[in-house]
Amino acid sequence: MVTSGAVRADLEQVFRSAYPRVVAVAARVLGSRSEAEDVAQEVFLTFCRSTVPAAEAPGWLSVAAAHTALNHLRSGRRRATREVAAGHAATVAPDVADAVVTLDERRRVRAALARLPRRQAIALVLRHSGLSYAEVAAALDLSTGSVGTTVRRAESALREELNRHASSD
Amino acid sequence: MRHPTDGTLRRLLDEPAGVAEADRAHVAGCEKCRVALAEATRDADAAADSLRVDAATDVDAAWERLSRAAEHHPRATTRAPRRWRTLLRSPAVAAVGVAAVLVGAGAAAAGDWLQVFRTERIAPVTAPEADLVQLPELDQFGDVVVTEAVDIRPVADATAAAKASGLTVPKVGALPRGVTGEPTYHAGARASAVFTYRAAKAEETARARGRTLPPPPPGLDGSQFRFTAGPGFAVMWAAERPFPALVVARAVAPSAYSTGVPFATARDYLLSLPILPANVAAQLRSFSSDGTTLPLFMSVEHMTSTATDVGGVPATLLTSKDETLAAVVWLEGNVATAVAGPLRGDEVLAVARGLGPR
Repeated sequence: MVTSGAVRADLEQVFRSAYPRVVAVAARVLGSRSEAEDVAQEVFLTFCRSTVPAAEAPGWLSVAAAHTALNHLRSGRRRATREVAAGHAATVAPDVADAVVTLDERRRVRAALARLPRRQAIALVLRHSGLSYAEVAAALDLSTGSVGTTVRRAESALREELNRHASSD
Repeated sequence: MRHPTDGTLRRLLDEPAGVAEADRAHVAGCEKCRVALAEATRDADAAADSLRVDAATDVDAAWERLSRAAEHHPRATTRAPRRWRTLLRSPAVAAVGVAAVLVGAGAAAAGDWLQVFRTERIAPVTAPEADLVQLPELDQFGDVVVTEAVDIRPVADATAAAKASGLTVPKVGALPRGVTGEPTYHAGARASAVFTYRAAKAEETARARGRTLPPPPPGLDGSQFRFTAGPGFAVMWAAERPFPALVVARAVAPSAYSTGVPFATARDYLLSLPILPANVAAQLRSFSSDGTTLPLFMSVEHMTSTATDVGGVPATLLTSKDETLAAVVWLEGNVATAVAGPLRGDEVLAVARGLGPR
């Protein structure tokens, strides 16, 4: 374990270049920018105490953002509170029906993501956050060839989850 | 020519240059592949729609927030004590701390440290998460002083891990699908902490929760308990990731010692306190008589436990209900071994049962 120094010297540089993507990854999982920003803070705090080499930081941070956000989905309490708050906002919004539909759609996507196998969910979110196949492969320790397969399975599983849920509603 | 895989078709949508020329030519002329490609396109577009979100950020403001937070979480000298605190604070926690006090048995003679708890069995204690979060932390009843800090360091290889921990590092047989590469090894010496019961602090905790405590039995105020765990080691695959793909860990299981307090009295008193969730207290009480059962706290919402065996030794298999996490843990003598990872229950069991002597 490294025990010297306050925070890693390269932190600010890594932070400034990677922060938008870390938020983007977490926001795709959570459907909420403010929650994603909380997750990003958590991820960078872990990072600044780690010994991850700077060159591997972007991949590490993206995977950590996806994992942490997926864990937040499951812990869910804070999210539930926020959704209630958002629900209140919706009742005073001019287009109530639209707001409710959007909220419900978001909830269903979150629930479906939480049910996907973890690796598929992460590959899906990273790919849709703009990481290249090579970057997703490096971050998840997959071969570049199997990234397409994993993403394809995730997309088809997501459709099935959303359809199944829609028909059982 | 064989049809390209679904994965190749999917990549064709995003990175056509990454797909072999022969595959691209095949798809252009193959009706079946064009249909599959159209399906892939539909699913990809639908996923993109579902995942679309406005994630514009203010990097400067975020950097300021992180700088403030990082100042309060320096990683230098405070690291080890904080780890102990975290350990004692997390819900899974209480396992070693409060629990060892609560389930310890036997009367301790004055003066010397007397063993009041040794782990001979591991049993799950299940409760709703809300109750687990409410479990009191040890430092709400007194003072916790770390005497040997948790200090887990990377070591070179299995031989070094065995030497540092004094334990056998087993050979791992076939790895589960998706777990690849060489593992890293980590080892830690024994860790210990001394807890001193403070009646005034306990009362304060109770008052903060709107409760009053019955008067403590004579001698409990100021009495001390010592907890030890380790040494141990962990073998991790993909260690530089925040969540390793597989962990095999082994450690000397926790023990607790006491000085000069009639332990049964202390235990009965603590279990009777109105600040323990009733269902948790009842479960702890059910195995509090022997002082040999280490409770494994888990939330009924997220985890399921199953009794199983590893090489004939009784073991506990824990699986998360969303099937994203599994762990199996068992004891041989006073040594606990765990195999865990973002895997299925049968996968961690297969690894556990395939561990061989080195």
